[in-house]
Amino acid sequence: MNAPMTITVALDGKSRQVPIGTTLAVLVAELGFAPGAVGTAVNGRFVARGVRDGLELRSGDSILFFQPIAGG
Amino acid sequence: MHREPMVDSDSWTVAGTTLRSRLLLGSAGYPSPQVLRDAIRASETQVVTVGLKRTLVAGSDNGFVAIVREALAAQNARLLPNTAGCRSAREAIELAMMARELYDTPWIKLEVVGDEHTLQPDPIELIDAARCLVKEGFVVWPYCTDDLVTCRRLLDVGCALLMPWGAPIGSGQGLTNPFALRTLRARLPDAILIVDAGIGAPSHAAQALELGFDAVLLNSAVALAGDPVRMARGFRHAVQAGREGRRAGLIRAQDFAVASTPVAGQPVLLGSTDCQERQ
Repeated sequence: MNAPMTITVALDGKSRQVPIGTTLAVLVAELGFAPGAVGTAVNGRFVARGVRDGLELRSGDSILFFQPIAGG
Repeated sequence: MHREPMVDSDSWTVAGTTLRSRLLLGSAGYPSPQVLRDAIRASETQVVTVGLKRTLVAGSDNGFVAIVREALAAQNARLLPNTAGCRSAREAIELAMMARELYDTPWIKLEVVGDEHTLQPDPIELIDAARCLVKEGFVVWPYCTDDLVTCRRLLDVGCALLMPWGAPIGSGQGLTNPFALRTLRARLPDAILIVDAGIGAPSHAAQALELGFDAVLLNSAVALAGDPVRMARGFRHAVQAGREGRRAGLIRAQDFAVASTPVAGQPVLLGSTDCQERQ
């Protein structure tokens, strides 16, 4: 039996399959965000832009993206 | 020969940044980015609040943030990101870290809400978050209630200033507890105090400045006005009027009349003033 080639992560609460070995930086790019245009959190913790390249996603990870908006 | 300074240097300073304007403006809820840009200009503000939103769609803010950045560059102003929507210290800390990265500023308007109906700040979570963020190098602007002891604790953990509410966010009720605000001013004479939230009319802003508050932060009162740009201008004048009133020294209110014309108790006319005698 072949080992699975993908894992399931939660992207803003919705399930998403990503290839094993996908880094957070790759996911940011795949969704069309410029690296500096979005903030990222994995499992409720802020992940700085500079460490996304080295953060390989794991099955079950919960990923959130944040963008600047107007605010009070 | 002595010369009076050409410019009144009534400035204030937050963590080494000197500000002249005492009107801080929120950027949410405007009818269009252009109206927001014109309102920022009319207000002459030097601090504009912004937020962060969970998203999966790039560039989904309709250009508002770009307009804010452009307007601020034009008048040498600063961004103040908030942690709106946070319900715990941990959430607020994580969001603040993200805001620092995205907006490239250590300033953070710290909001941790403890009640969904009133959006009242949670003092316990707020103090915990503030303590951590100060240690992380943030300049913390905490949105808090007008409770004196909570405010003291926020200063104790290193907050740069205090931002007690005048009334619940967006309610437009004005200063619902002037006694508490006066008490804060009296008991914390050296603290920077800013009324944040609840202001609905320029007169409310003037009142805050008259009470000795250093500035006001407002959003809905301008953004949701019939003419936001005119309202921004109105608030600018109101803040200046209130500040000038405070600096000039307000007279004490009292129950009974005190004649202002110096007639020293003498009657103005002698003799009868009977109408029939004059005919």
